[in-house]
Amino acid sequence: MTTRRVAITGTGSITPIGSTDDHIISFLKAGQPCFETFVSHSDTVVCPVKNFDLIQYTGKFKHRRYLNRGASLSVAAAMMAVKDAHIDNGLLDNAGLFTGAGPNLDMGNEFPEIINHQVNWEAIQALWILKFLPNTAASTIAQLTGIHGECTTVGTACAASLQAIGDAFRKIKDGYLDIALAGGGDSRLSSGAMMAYKKARSIYVGSDHPNQVCRPFDQNRKGFVSGEGAAFFILEDYEHAKKRGAEIKAEILGFGASMDGYRMTDPHPDGLYAQRAVVQAINDAKIHPDDIDLISSHGTGTQLNDKMEAELIHRLFNRRHQPFVIALKSWIGHLSAACGAVELSVCMACIKHDYIPEIRNLNDPCHMSVNFVVSPKSCRFNTVLLENFGFGGQNCAIIFRG
Amino acid sequence: MTVENILKDILCDILDIDLSDIEPETYLIRDLDAESIDLLELAVNINQQFNTSVNEDDLFLRKLRFYLEEAEERGIEKNSYLKNKYPFLPNDRIMEILDDIEKGPVLKMKDLIHYVTRQN
Repeated sequence: MTTRRVAITGTGSITPIGSTDDHIISFLKAGQPCFETFVSHSDTVVCPVKNFDLIQYTGKFKHRRYLNRGASLSVAAAMMAVKDAHIDNGLLDNAGLFTGAGPNLDMGNEFPEIINHQVNWEAIQALWILKFLPNTAASTIAQLTGIHGECTTVGTACAASLQAIGDAFRKIKDGYLDIALAGGGDSRLSSGAMMAYKKARSIYVGSDHPNQVCRPFDQNRKGFVSGEGAAFFILEDYEHAKKRGAEIKAEILGFGASMDGYRMTDPHPDGLYAQRAVVQAINDAKIHPDDIDLISSHGTGTQLNDKMEAELIHRLFNRRHQPFVIALKSWIGHLSAACGAVELSVCMACIKHDYIPEIRNLNDPCHMSVNFVVSPKSCRFNTVLLENFGFGGQNCAIIFRG
Repeated sequence: MTVENILKDILCDILDIDLSDIEPETYLIRDLDAESIDLLELAVNINQQFNTSVNEDDLFLRKLRFYLEEAEERGIEKNSYLKNKYPFLPNDRIMEILDDIEKGPVLKMKDLIHYVTRQN
């Protein structure tokens, strides 16, 4: 049996720097991201999506009220992807749905008043629970798109949406599905989430200029900055896509995933299992490390991730040809469960426009032998390794070609 | 605001529809496609807005068909049996329901108005 190839034939994304390839690229070229001081915690910084209104993507429908912000962003991006793939509902009947989702941490707005452990239950909706169930976005997307195939919601922290895409890739490659909608959305721009991250000491806290605080791989990095957004993709068996005359926007070549089994939040300092995921993706893609033009790193701007990841990249790619290394979180913030999907969509825009954005605020690199991109480049590139490493030791990597 | 207007606002919010979609004669389930969770939300909202505690079985005429069977079994005239079970509904509305019941769920916007008006 010949191995099936997996194409991306539709994309939809909502990011802090725009929703279309052209917007994203012009934003990157302008070099002015929109990080800002967070209203309810003035010592934290966030990277919001401005002027988002779900109704523009879906029209009126009564279950909007049960979507938390991350789920709303997911539903919007999923609708965009289906539209972009010019796919009719008949084909979606057998499609799979793979969604990366995170927890709703908006304690300030979603919870009724609690006084001495007494909850004011009268104040909440009858199906308040739906705002907290991880598969509410998937349920809504299926209702709106007519997808009735296999459906999985992935909750693997910051690896979630990339893992959802990886799972969909494998299901198509192995012949279980011909078409899948995969991606994820998330928002943690709430008082509850900021409080949680501050307590966990993983987020940037301070009063520097908002656009200068997210500094992946810099010696003076001080934690990540929260962003929000979503991206979804139609993944399709290559021959199936060709046959229906679909535009092939990219091809996914390989996927790898692993688990540190080490600490609750810290990555394994030696990056052994992160490396296992990356190597697995390279082997799955049946390519040589030299074939990789660019690495879109997880690059959070935390001390522990960036040290581990820089050393991992150095170990695997320390040869004459060194791939460019970018860190998109320096432009859009850390989108938590949605980061992988949105970074994939930004990378696809960059491939299309032959543009490689610099890692912002990287003045003093934490590793001298990694090919960090410190100034923007206009050049052709094609094969990309995308890495995401999540809380809990979740590792995954995808290799794709534009 | 009248009871009718408050109920319309609640329904617009829950079902994500326009005010012009709802009239007293509008069927909640047949016309507006309300499903069980929507009725749950509706009851919660009515309780909040009118500071009351509705009986959902009565408000949504849930036991209507059961009562009709019961009336038949006991040999009681259906009209008066329903009048007794649903004292908030006017006589002509009960006649209407009996004529209409074979065509599907009978619950109309005006039934909610009758219920809430009487409770207040």
